Amino acid sequence: MPGPATKSARILVFSTEKISDPAIDMAGLLKLHYPPTVYTIAVPCSAGIKPRWILHAYEKGFDGVFIAADGTDCSYGDSCTDRTGRLVYQTHELMKQKNIEPARLRMAAICSICSESFVKQIKSFNEYLLRNSIN
Amino acid sequence: MSDEIRAASYDALVIGGGIAGGEAALDLANNGYKVLLVEKDLSIGGKMILLSKVFPTLDCAACITTPKVSEISRHPGITVFTGAEVTSIEKKGEREFETAVTKRPRYVVEEDCTACQLCEEVCPVVVHDEYQYRLVGRKAAFIPFSIASPRVAAIDIENCTLCGACEKACPPKCIDFTQETEKYIIKTGTVIVATGFKLFDPLKIPRYGYGVYKNVLTSMEMERQLAPTRPFNTILRPGDGKMPDRIAYVLCTGSRDDTIGNPVCSQICCMYSLKQAQLLMGALPMADVTIYYINIRSFGKGFEEFYEQAKGMGISFVKGKVGKITETETGNLILRYEDINENRVMEEEHDMVVLAVGVLPNTDPLSFFRNGELKADQFSFVDQAEVLSSPARTSVKGVFVAGTASGPMDIPDSILSAGAASSEAISYLKQ
Amino acid sequence: MNRKIGVYICHCGGNISDYVDVEKVKQAVVNDDGVFLAKTTMFACGDANQKEMVEDIRNNGLDGVIVASCSPKLHLLTFRAVSERAGLNKYNYVHANIREQVSWAHSDNKAGATDKAIQIVKSAIAKVRLAEPLMPFRFPAVKAVAIAGGGISGMRAALGLSDMGCPVYLIEKSPFFGGRTSQWDVLYTSGQTGGQMVSELYGELLKRENVKLLTGAEIISGSGNIGDFKLKVRVTPRYVPENCNGDKLNESIAACPVELPDEFNFNLTKRKAIYRNHPGQFPQTAVIDMTSCTRCGECEKICPEIDLSQEEEIIDINAGSVLVATGFDPYTPADGEFGYGLSDRVITLPEFKRLIELNDSGLVHKGRRVRKIAYIYCVGSRQPEGDNKYCSRYCCTSVIHSAIQAKKKFGDITGYHFTRGIRTYGKQELLYAESLKGGEIYLQSYEDDPPVVEVNENSLKVRINDILTGIREVSVEPDLVVLVTGMVPRADNSVGALFKLPKGRDSFFNEIHMKLRPVETVIDGIIICGACQGPKNITESVNSALSAAVKSFSLVNRGELEMEPIVATIDEETCEWCGACYEACPFDAIRKTVKGTREIAEINNSVCKGCGICLPVCPVDAIELTAYSNREIESMIDALAGSYPIMTTK
Repeated sequence: MPGPATKSARILVFSTEKISDPAIDMAGLLKLHYPPTVYTIAVPCSAGIKPRWILHAYEKGFDGVFIAADGTDCSYGDSCTDRTGRLVYQTHELMKQKNIEPARLRMAAICSICSESFVKQIKSFNEYLLRNSIN
Repeated sequence: MSDEIRAASYDALVIGGGIAGGEAALDLANNGYKVLLVEKDLSIGGKMILLSKVFPTLDCAACITTPKVSEISRHPGITVFTGAEVTSIEKKGEREFETAVTKRPRYVVEEDCTACQLCEEVCPVVVHDEYQYRLVGRKAAFIPFSIASPRVAAIDIENCTLCGACEKACPPKCIDFTQETEKYIIKTGTVIVATGFKLFDPLKIPRYGYGVYKNVLTSMEMERQLAPTRPFNTILRPGDGKMPDRIAYVLCTGSRDDTIGNPVCSQICCMYSLKQAQLLMGALPMADVTIYYINIRSFGKGFEEFYEQAKGMGISFVKGKVGKITETETGNLILRYEDINENRVMEEEHDMVVLAVGVLPNTDPLSFFRNGELKADQFSFVDQAEVLSSPARTSVKGVFVAGTASGPMDIPDSILSAGAASSEAISYLKQ
Repeated sequence: MNRKIGVYICHCGGNISDYVDVEKVKQAVVNDDGVFLAKTTMFACGDANQKEMVEDIRNNGLDGVIVASCSPKLHLLTFRAVSERAGLNKYNYVHANIREQVSWAHSDNKAGATDKAIQIVKSAIAKVRLAEPLMPFRFPAVKAVAIAGGGISGMRAALGLSDMGCPVYLIEKSPFFGGRTSQWDVLYTSGQTGGQMVSELYGELLKRENVKLLTGAEIISGSGNIGDFKLKVRVTPRYVPENCNGDKLNESIAACPVELPDEFNFNLTKRKAIYRNHPGQFPQTAVIDMTSCTRCGECEKICPEIDLSQEEEIIDINAGSVLVATGFDPYTPADGEFGYGLSDRVITLPEFKRLIELNDSGLVHKGRRVRKIAYIYCVGSRQPEGDNKYCSRYCCTSVIHSAIQAKKKFGDITGYHFTRGIRTYGKQELLYAESLKGGEIYLQSYEDDPPVVEVNENSLKVRINDILTGIREVSVEPDLVVLVTGMVPRADNSVGALFKLPKGRDSFFNEIHMKLRPVETVIDGIIICGACQGPKNITESVNSALSAAVKSFSLVNRGELEMEPIVATIDEETCEWCGACYEACPFDAIRKTVKGTREIAEINNSVCKGCGICLPVCPVDAIELTAYSNREIESMIDALAGSYPIMTTK
């Protein structure tokens, strides 16, 4: 039904092929809605995301980047959570240098069935980004 | 008919190209065995390929069946005969089975047909379409359904007038009325029976008015109305083409009912009715759907959650057995039922009634062996000789059963039983 | 390079096209750089479309293909196979998910969904433009399967694998094989006892030369991959050799001063620290439970063969696939749940089953004769409030069967069944009919109004608002309350934790897809079966066990497997060997090497798992991951950022 046009934030999600991407799939299966300006790129492991990719997304106009991390379920080892946290920290530092608000990068562990949590997180991130009207 | 009998041999014969037989054939072929898959119908895929979506995930049935069917049809280890029937099996010794197979002519050269449908267009004969459960018509020259495998035309010779229009229209000239029935003797080391089930015929319960009242239909007819390859692209009352808005489901039609000789619970009707009800709520947002039930049996993985989801969507559930259905002048239907919660007999008007018909045995395999070596259980399903420790074994060593040939089962259980049958068949071949 | 790309956009029979304007998507990409053709199709996965794709690829010499359809978890492999059949390298195929992550997720917003689908297809085009043909790595697969769990599923899978010609290690953590089935008396429908069934299977397994049986064996570590799993198994000694048997063994057991509740009988009876198998458990030898033994030496005095100095052993097992069959736990009711824990006359169904077997002439519980039993259904299953939303599927039939058995054995027993709707599906319906004929009384509660168990000093009372007799409160004062408890995932999740097996919404281990890949997990080579995957009865467990067996067999049968050629690569010019990647790699796949005069990092391709963990730690950005290179990811981001108006309507 047509209604007043509302803007939603452009969010790039880095998901992981075996853990968080299935959860995002299941959100669709369960018809849990979230803004359609949320796009996903799946990688093998969240600890393998390069800060330069994240910075590239801001340069190209994304309002936010969300890392749907493996958490403790990661099949590549226990260090995943720590390492994902470290690369987020590292990226936050780089963002400060470039005068990009660090809050535009968020991370949360999304297990393979955490569909509801994913949608909740993304909606709240979207609201945050809109409220702070970054662009 | 030609008297020539062709001979061929394979490691395994799989009888029935539904989801169970197909799965068993793939398991065997993927382990290096040569398989002949014999299917009675013109397409493999069984009943599942005709379904709308499947519970409890609401994946579309075609999305799961078509790639499997496609994998089967192009697997170098699997030969598929469609339009073919087993007439007899003889066990000559361990790992020595001889099966007589009759392959009906299709009157179309399979390899040359491009499924262009020009023959369909020009054919002047219209008959009921059995693949759409008679909801619409089809021609005598026809492709069974859009996702059939093989997707190749066939001539329905019973109804064909031999006018020759299709022959003239066919661009690759692949229509061949000289084709004859082919007879084969197939030698194999093992046999898997995956002949599936039959649906209960509701004409046997005249008080429900099926076949008399136009707006009483079976669940399979509703399944076709909901399927992606559906005939109408929406849900319609067969009586007058109106969109229904008060739809009733009558569960246990032909199941758990001694009066029609079937005391068994069909195991799938509750779930497919819950699924159809959910799909109807999606297709007709204003419609009311009521399910009349004795017990809701949502027992499998994710099933109870699916039932909860249905309740959450506003589907009504009435605990009670429907005694009788009568028709009003407008084609609406009055259901007389015993409401168990209220403890009294009530009546309710609906404009469409779906009978959730149950699973009956397909008794074809019981006559495969001349002396009845393949035994049936008390309900005429193929008997499982060691139901707990080796559910795929039958009364004949080396003959295994997969899927609903041995009793009611849902799709996941049919697939697992097919895995068991293929595992046992490989073990038997290796003995 | 000029690419010739084919794009196929799937309707999915309405699943996509009801929400995404697929024609618009096609129009939006058909003129993109490198796109040679773009088509929509009713079912991309259907045979007809697959054939058409093969012809398109061959006839036009396409060098890149995209299907925009469902999740890649369903059909990535299907379309890679299509590419291969057409002679196109399968890594020149890219999958775009416009169903789970577009049409279904945004079914509330068709315009937004269509825009998103366009961007996703464009990013797939960006990726396929850069895709390189790759050759999969081939590696040998060890032709052996390790099975974790020696219950009915594990034993039957072992037998199946053995008979298909595959060597098997059957690893059971407890001292005995047989699992839960050995605890059950007469089984429905065969009429044999659980013990007899286990005994037959065990007898068959003993005859198989290619089966290695391990009890008291715990998998303590697991490494490696599909085709080559390396397990370390700690085997606890039994301390009691086989020649300590008969009367001598009985006396040794009698002499043991340590007494413990016997978990086999759900603590209804006691056992010693040295104890024998129950009849349904195998091997039929005794064992000392060292966690409770005080090493007092009393048993040794009678049976000098007993050797308390035996030490545990660590065994290395190498297997191509691991089959997990670790089973379930019966649900333990919470304190006070339907009176559980408040009275010792409130017991669970498994306890009741043991009680029937342990009694002979009459049913006696805690010294009292039991004549009237209240069975309360769905305890721990179908919880409106708790976490267990699922139905445990076996319990209705199981309790009805047990009630019939109790009646047969002890005669004067009446059962009152407080149900939530009987679920004796399939042929099991006949058992329910038999029970009704036998005079059992069935009541049914309303969904939001469960029965209440009152525990008084000397009596029990169960009250229910019964549907079947018409909104009437019915109460019964039984001698015994049996809580019909369902199945829950095993509390001991050691095997699941070791392999990081994913769990479903019901907390049981989860398969990839219930219908497409029902026994496989997302961890390649790890197969699941039996009740560790969800509640199942014996027939269903065996069917899944044999399905799992044939799946494991097909993985290791040929002795060779393919692995995705996705590995890290080092830019030798840029690398200055700092060791950061070496430190980060969880698999020890990176080492230092000398190139000319410079020290640089080198990747061992056969060990690298392609996780990419080394990528972000490199200070000079000298590491790339195949198929996830900077160019590929960044060009995908460019495409997703796009120039389309990002306006949505609500």
